[in-house]
Amino acid sequence: MTRVVEVPGQFDDRTFDQFAKDMEGNGGRLLFDAHATHWASPYGLVGLLAAGQHAAEQGGQRPLLTVPTDRDVAQYWARSGFFEQAAEWFELHGKVPRVPTSQASDVLLPITPVRGSDDVHQVVEMIQDRSAAILSGELGLDVTATMGFAMALSEACQNIVEHAGTSGWVAVQAYHWKRRLGRKVVVIAVADAGVGFRRTLEATQAASFGDRWNDGTALEAALFQGASRFRDPGRGQGLAGITRYANRWEGKVSLRSGTARITIVPSWDEDDPLIDGLPNFPGSQVLIIIPAAQGQ
Amino acid sequence: MTAMRRIDLTAVLERTLSKLSGDLVTRSTGKAVRGGVVEQLAGLEREAVVEIDFTTVRILDISCADEIVGKLLIEHGTAKYFVLHGVSVAHCDSIVQVLERHRLAVVARTRDGRVQVLGPLAETARTAFRVIFDSGSTDREQLARKLSWPIDTAQQALDELTSQRLVQLSANRYVAVTA
Repeated sequence: MTRVVEVPGQFDDRTFDQFAKDMEGNGGRLLFDAHATHWASPYGLVGLLAAGQHAAEQGGQRPLLTVPTDRDVAQYWARSGFFEQAAEWFELHGKVPRVPTSQASDVLLPITPVRGSDDVHQVVEMIQDRSAAILSGELGLDVTATMGFAMALSEACQNIVEHAGTSGWVAVQAYHWKRRLGRKVVVIAVADAGVGFRRTLEATQAASFGDRWNDGTALEAALFQGASRFRDPGRGQGLAGITRYANRWEGKVSLRSGTARITIVPSWDEDDPLIDGLPNFPGSQVLIIIPAAQGQ
Repeated sequence: MTAMRRIDLTAVLERTLSKLSGDLVTRSTGKAVRGGVVEQLAGLEREAVVEIDFTTVRILDISCADEIVGKLLIEHGTAKYFVLHGVSVAHCDSIVQVLERHRLAVVARTRDGRVQVLGPLAETARTAFRVIFDSGSTDREQLARKLSWPIDTAQQALDELTSQRLVQLSANRYVAVTA
């Protein structure tokens, strides 16, 4: 039996829960149907890879994925490095464009696997020159924003290495948010299909929360209390560092894990700070958005 | 002042991990670099001033800052004096977060040559440090006079600076720990 999971037409953080809901349920080989998808954000694309990895590991065989029929969309996915990664986790159906992973200016970092510390080094190395040009050039941010950006990226990727128990992906892109913000933004999207925050922190944190322990409280503990699965008091500072950086540059940080999502909401956004009871999705997904300075 | 030793972090990074990037990122890198720094501490006299040189470091993430600065101060800060040299604004952000977590402070010389104390410190102690640094050395009475403080306030500030290993006391005079 094949179960169809529809990839939303506009696939980003706002439609991700609908996608996760479609994925819920057991049994059958999954078919991720992206044929009608006309736009996907980096968050959507790394999330789709995590979904494929999870389905492949759970189901024993790779799920199916239909490639977007719109040629421009498929080419954009190819330029983002999506198909290069997807080939390992999906049986692809449809025409995959033979387009090299992009060196275009909007793709600061193509979708890149994160499996270990060396990958984090590579990601930080790759991003620096291009992010400097975008952040201080096009977004009009102070030059110090560039160094902090690499720090935030490094810490977001290290969450996979240190806690996920599996590999994940990261992507960084710049684009113009005409409708949503009217400014250009740089987006870091990180996703894995690993154990997630609740299970990671269970051994050290669950007892103090008692009956309240769930995905939401686990995210709160990680983000606001710097909780970590390690007893080492120096652990658990990465997310706080990301949040500090985002706050300084009016950015947004969102963490989704299991059935909850927690967000540091900037003044330009109207997202909910904490949402519980979402459709379950494996692992952890991190979204960091840094907008251009006002007037840029 | 006791002997001073400078340790270049990028050189340690190259030697320990054969990485040439100058990016101090990831906890495992930090741990390895701290190991390389600690190796160089061996043989130094107790109370030596050790300058950790960040001049050629590009990126310093929080995990690395915790390993290289936080744990180094926790494990060796009572036996040596540490000064961070050539830190950038972004380095300071990572280091300050780590120091706040551990309630530690350290003297840093920034890339533009300014000397400042990073980490949580009472405002009086911070002011006292500035006076001691600017004057070269001072005693409790001079400090109190200069700042129009009661002796107790000056002593309290000096005690905090001493316990955080930001000043050295020699023949009843306080000297800022700087390289």
